[in-house]
Amino acid sequence: MYYQLINFGNEEFHAYPNKSLYWKRLNTLIVSDLHIGKSISYAKNKQFLPPYDTKEILNKIFVSLDKIKPCNLIIVGDLLHDVFSTLSIKDQDYKNLSQYMKNTDFIWIKGNHDKNIQIEGFKNFTNYKIGKFLFTHIPIKTSLFQICGHYHPKVKIVHRGKTIFKTSFVHNEKIFILPSFGILTGGLDVHSKQISDVLGKNNLSIYPVGQDKVYKLKLK
Amino acid sequence: MNINKSNPLLLHPLNKWMKKKKWSWFPHQIETFHHVRTGSDVVVFAPTGAGKTLTGFINPIDDLIKLKKFKGLHTLYISPLKSLANDIVRNLEKPINELDLNVSFQVRTGDTTPYKKQKQKQKPPNILITTPESLALLNSYENAKEFFHNLKYIIIDEIHTFLDNKRADLLSLNIERLQTFSPNLQRIGLSATLKNKQDAKKWLCRKKPKIVSYENSVFPKIKILESKERIPWSGHMATYSINEIYKEIIKSKLTIIFVNTRAQAEYMFKNIWLINKKKLKIAVHHGSLEKNLRLKVENNLSKGLVDCVVSTSSLELGLDYGDVEKIIQVGAPKGINRLLQRVGRSNHNLNTPSKAILVPTSRFEFIEAKAAIEEIKKNNLDKIDLKEGSFDVVAQHIFATACAGQFDINDLFKEIIKAYPYKKLKLNDFKQLINLIQDGGYVLKNYDQFKRIFQLRENKNIYKLVNRRETRKYRMNVGTIIENPMLKIKLGTKTLGNIEEVFIQNLSQGDSFIFAGQVLEFQSMKNNLVQVKRSKSLISKIPSYSGGRMPLSTNLANSVRALLAKSNMWDSYPEQITEWLKRQKNISKIPKKDEYLVEQFPRKKNFYTVIYTFAGWHANQTLGFLLLRGFKEFNYKPLGFVANDYAIVLWSLKEVKEIKTILNLELLDKHLDNYLEETSIVKRLFRDNAIISCLIERRLPGMEKTGKQVLFSSDLIYTVLKNNEPDHILLKSSYEDAKKNMIDYDRLREILKEIDKKIILKKLTCISPLAVPIILEINRENLSKKETDEYILEDLENEILKEANVLSIN
Repeated sequence: MYYQLINFGNEEFHAYPNKSLYWKRLNTLIVSDLHIGKSISYAKNKQFLPPYDTKEILNKIFVSLDKIKPCNLIIVGDLLHDVFSTLSIKDQDYKNLSQYMKNTDFIWIKGNHDKNIQIEGFKNFTNYKIGKFLFTHIPIKTSLFQICGHYHPKVKIVHRGKTIFKTSFVHNEKIFILPSFGILTGGLDVHSKQISDVLGKNNLSIYPVGQDKVYKLKLK
Repeated sequence: MNINKSNPLLLHPLNKWMKKKKWSWFPHQIETFHHVRTGSDVVVFAPTGAGKTLTGFINPIDDLIKLKKFKGLHTLYISPLKSLANDIVRNLEKPINELDLNVSFQVRTGDTTPYKKQKQKQKPPNILITTPESLALLNSYENAKEFFHNLKYIIIDEIHTFLDNKRADLLSLNIERLQTFSPNLQRIGLSATLKNKQDAKKWLCRKKPKIVSYENSVFPKIKILESKERIPWSGHMATYSINEIYKEIIKSKLTIIFVNTRAQAEYMFKNIWLINKKKLKIAVHHGSLEKNLRLKVENNLSKGLVDCVVSTSSLELGLDYGDVEKIIQVGAPKGINRLLQRVGRSNHNLNTPSKAILVPTSRFEFIEAKAAIEEIKKNNLDKIDLKEGSFDVVAQHIFATACAGQFDINDLFKEIIKAYPYKKLKLNDFKQLINLIQDGGYVLKNYDQFKRIFQLRENKNIYKLVNRRETRKYRMNVGTIIENPMLKIKLGTKTLGNIEEVFIQNLSQGDSFIFAGQVLEFQSMKNNLVQVKRSKSLISKIPSYSGGRMPLSTNLANSVRALLAKSNMWDSYPEQITEWLKRQKNISKIPKKDEYLVEQFPRKKNFYTVIYTFAGWHANQTLGFLLLRGFKEFNYKPLGFVANDYAIVLWSLKEVKEIKTILNLELLDKHLDNYLEETSIVKRLFRDNAIISCLIERRLPGMEKTGKQVLFSSDLIYTVLKNNEPDHILLKSSYEDAKKNMIDYDRLREILKEIDKKIILKKLTCISPLAVPIILEINRENLSKKETDEYILEDLENEILKEANVLSIN
């Protein structure tokens, strides 16, 4: 699989078009904001989205795990959309998960959507530190390099009279934000107030995700 | 007029008023009165000015007077436009008030206040004037049956606008519902003249169907603008003729200039304004302008306070502007019916002919204009094709039915298939639509506990709404018209109108553009409001509005082909046109009426293939794409194509040798799905389907969704659905819609079926005169959205990498 090399905090990361991030030196795969079961949560309000998001997201994860065989899988928050979400996980999915857990540690950083939910086999954390890196859902005040999610960044590109929006990886010097790994999840412009408040407006490295390739843009 | 002594209308309550006005009854009014009185459903065809509106009301008013103090709703009048509904009330008021008749009437549209609506429900008027959407809403109330059970007549005005679209589907379902409520209901349709009158009758009438027709004997006077300037090869803006157009405006008291797009309207207005030395009062009118601005223009028009209005189709229908003296149509007429409708806006009087001037903006359009005039002389109108009803509208109707109370699905199905567009609806599809409303209708049953409607335990055929709160959601989402994401434009605190979000996204702060006839500078965008200020800039952009591009009608296309082949006519054309055609004849060929000319020639480093199909823009666009695929298979290395109403041009690296082998019906069957997929046509239609079927909401109570968000989530749903459940009813529905509307599928089929025998292949050494216009149009990109996205990213990245030594990336 083609990946984009990203240097962050003097470490090398691989950004994949499936919106996962791989830290090769520690054989660790990182994903964020899966929002499993978003469809069922909407169905409560009679908005009947196709109920296949859970299956698709889990399959995407399993395919990555088969290929990369990481020691750790870190989910930086919002694995689930809400308490109803577990209804959409079938018995077979649980069986598959436990198979993968034999070789990989599933590290679940809790996000604002899935604070009080438990799934057997997942190791729960509010944040998780490896060396000078802190994995957390929403960035906090710290001198560490942070890898987080929550914002679902996308970038608006105006070029040659056309405007497109693309889901993106984005970081500044200290904070890295992953795109959402979900299927039915929307996005937030990297220049929106919410993201600017966290990353600032200048010196952003932005990596729009294309069909089979992650691109690289740098904004002054 | 021929007044028969035995005319029963001489005893009609309105006869006194007619006499006072020195008017006499039209034969079609007498005929309609008779048919309706003897129990027929009737469609009346008559030109503007022939008392059409009154014709509809003759029987209802007669009945109401005879019945004396009838309580409750007696007659429903359906108008395609809100503004027209108000106009009808004004026209009805005069005779009823003057004669002091005891008949009550009111209007009910989206603009009616909730208070008034409530009052209407408690104490309905005898005659209610409304729109299809408001009717659908009325039918969704729990007391609908009670409200309508005494309804005697339903009158559908401008029924020709309701025959071939989703709005027609919605209306047809609601008419059948009224018929169930009130089995004695009679239907009266009022239409402009149509070619296929029988189709309109089939669509509307059930009881002893009758057609009443009144043809105008006075034909409009239409001519083509005689220009001393050079008619351009290609283009749509008619800049060449602006001075001559201005002279025509000066000559007449009141002129409407019709153009084909909103961008043309803004452009034409600006250009006339620049040469307006006589300080004429000129206004612009189109559908994106704020309602108040539009009403102001309409008001000034009816009072004769302006000299000229530049307009799109927004002024085409209905309203009576008696003083309009002349119509100027800028750009191709595209269809006979449309041109007649527009021309009919002048001299709203039967005995004087309408006057119109056509301004072709290119050479092909000259031929088209000429052909249109010929067809009007022959009274050869376009056919309006009835089409099978769309699934999504049925889904919405099921939801509405559930809002009105519990229902039996077998009864509902029986009622729906009485509606003409749904005669062939299959029970199985209907059941899937029930499931769609119930819980999304997915194969994977995840939502059992969250259903919107449910089956009663004691009778599985009866469904009921789970929660009355859902009625509110239905009411917020009623209707079949889905607009593109639009943003409001604000000049200070004043709203000027709506502009497409896509256009604004491409602007930077300080850019200027023309809107509502003014040059405006883009300042900022906050909370979906676009702030602008006035600008003196001379360079400005013109907002583009996607959609609305009408293809050339088949009827007119055939006429264009026939006319082109008539070389004995050429000498009557302007010299430049004659010269153009003569040179084509010498260098290549002028195709005969039933021939398809294909020209091939090298140009620069590429090889060009031009096919003159005259199939209309939609069909040609599709064919271009299919041929691109075909050329790829034969390894001709095609680079692109451009299509317009008349022809397609493809260019490739290698010579295309087997055009006759490639260009046939097989091409269509083989690559069509691909085409629908790659051009995101189905995806766009899926959005409409998802909204109309209420799978996703336009807006939630108290939380207005911006258009963009809806578009976004429907794309995600589409992708997930396609990957997991390709047979889902809404995907099926979107494909059907695509085949029906977007690509002129049947038209293309018809052409390709027999094309191999009719191709005339000309191998040339250079471009032919006939090919020049389309070659000039080669400037658009013809990549699919997916490809374009990747291309933009790639290109941008490359550009940045080139600058890398300066920017130092990592």
